[in-house]
This record gives sequence, structure tokens and C-alpha cells, in this order.
Amino acid sequence: MKVVGQCYCGQVSFEAEIQADKVRVCHCVDCQTLSGSAFRTNVPVAQGTFVLKSGEPKTFVKAGDSGNRLLHAFCPDCGTPIYSAVPGDPPSYSLRVGTLDRRAELLPARQIWCRSALPWTSDLNLPGAERLERQ
Amino acid sequence: MKVTGGCHCGHIAYEAEVDPAAVRVCHCADCQKLTGTAFRTNIASLPGTFRLLNGAPKIYLKTAESGNKRAHAFCPDCGTPIYAAAPEPNPTSYGLRVGGIDQRAQLGPPARQIWCRSALSWSMNISGVERAERG
Repeated sequence: MKVVGQCYCGQVSFEAEIQADKVRVCHCVDCQTLSGSAFRTNVPVAQGTFVLKSGEPKTFVKAGDSGNRLLHAFCPDCGTPIYSAVPGDPPSYSLRVGTLDRRAELLPARQIWCRSALPWTSDLNLPGAERLERQ
Repeated sequence: MKVTGGCHCGHIAYEAEVDPAAVRVCHCADCQKLTGTAFRTNIASLPGTFRLLNGAPKIYLKTAESGNKRAHAFCPDCGTPIYAAAPEPNPTSYGLRVGGIDQRAQLGPPARQIWCRSALSWSMNISGVERAERG
């Protein structure tokens, strides 16, 4: 699936062909911290199809538990997370689903690192919780 | 409840008091983009209790549809979202990003969900999505 995406402030924009059947929810503690939320939602890019259209994301090198190095890119102006990439030629990109124009069409196929999942994330239809259509 | 929090790379650290039952999920399109995931998870610091212990977050001044402005703070080095607050020198309260709080597993479940009209449909219940305990 061809998608376009951009950060909140619009500085960074990109397009890519994604593997839409491989959307993943990641509950690892690093993804919780780096998203500021309960889990991250990622989708891998078909090799060689990521094109940065505008802007220059800032990159942060994250060393995984395994010792693997992963580049994490975010907008230096508004902080929107853009991608992670395994260095290589070409690099393997994974996009943050929240930034994609077609995010409403993407359904997760797999959840990983469930051992650190926040328990309430499984079902948000919580009895007694207030749900507002707007604010 | 006293909480501590910060960013992934360790540049930013803070402490605050929160009501652990006051977790809020925001499904608005802006929060989806700025977190890169399905929704944002926030908790308000109790008035006068937020204390920045280390680092200097970068501020992005965000203007809502209503015209209201909010200062969005994130780590300039690793991009971790830290808080949103009124754009003034000493805001009374800070909307802390739950993913960066060390005690996040003890917070919630969310008492309130807002902007449900733009929620990604799958995010309300992921209990049926294939689960792996690790990566």
C-alpha cells in the first residue's frame, strides 16, 4: 500500500510502500517511553521504497537489548516520531502508523512484548469510564 | 501518588504528584500524529507538584482548532514526549505523557477517553490480535 506521511508541524514529509499486512503493536517499555503512550504502532516499509519528501528528521541511535543499533528519527521542531531504521544499503524502515494518511485503514496483525503491556490496553471498552466523542 | 519520569536517553527527568485514577486517553488526530501511535495517554500533575530534575525539554507551541495554545515539551535528543502545559512561565499543572512515567503500570485504567470520534476502530479492543510475550 502506498502511503504518505508527515509530522505534525509539516516540516518532515515522506512517502513509502508499506507492508500493510504487517502492522505491529509493540508493548516494550522503550516504545512506551518513546511514544509517551501505552504502546507503539509500527508498519514495515517495502525495501527501497521510503522517500523523504521534505525536511530533515533528527536521528537518535538506540542500542537494543541484543546490541543491535537502530536509528530512531523524529521531527526536531515538533517531536513527532517518524521512523526507525536498521542501518544498511538500503536501510530497513519501519514507520509510525500515527503519522500516515491512511492509518484508519491499517489493522494490527500482531502484538509483541506483551509481557510489559499495560493491562488496560487490551480492551478500552472499560466499564464506568467516560467516553466523549469530542473533548 | 508521587511519580518520577523522563525520557528514553536520560536527558530529561522530573517528579510530580498525580491522582493514579485520573489517566486520560486522547484519540484526536493530532495526538495520533504526535505520538506516532493510536492514541495519547496523559495524566495531569496535581497543582504545584511538577519539578524538572534534569535537562531542558524542547518546546513546540501548538495551536488547537479553538485557538488555544499549548506548550508541548519533548526531549531534544531522543524525541520522547514529556508533557503539555499552558504556555506561561510557571504553569500550575502539566499533562504528563504516561509512557515516560516510571510507575506507569500502577496508573489507570483510564477514567476518561476523549475525541473518540476519531479513534482508530481497532484500538478499542486488541484482545483478539496475535500476542507474543517477547519480540
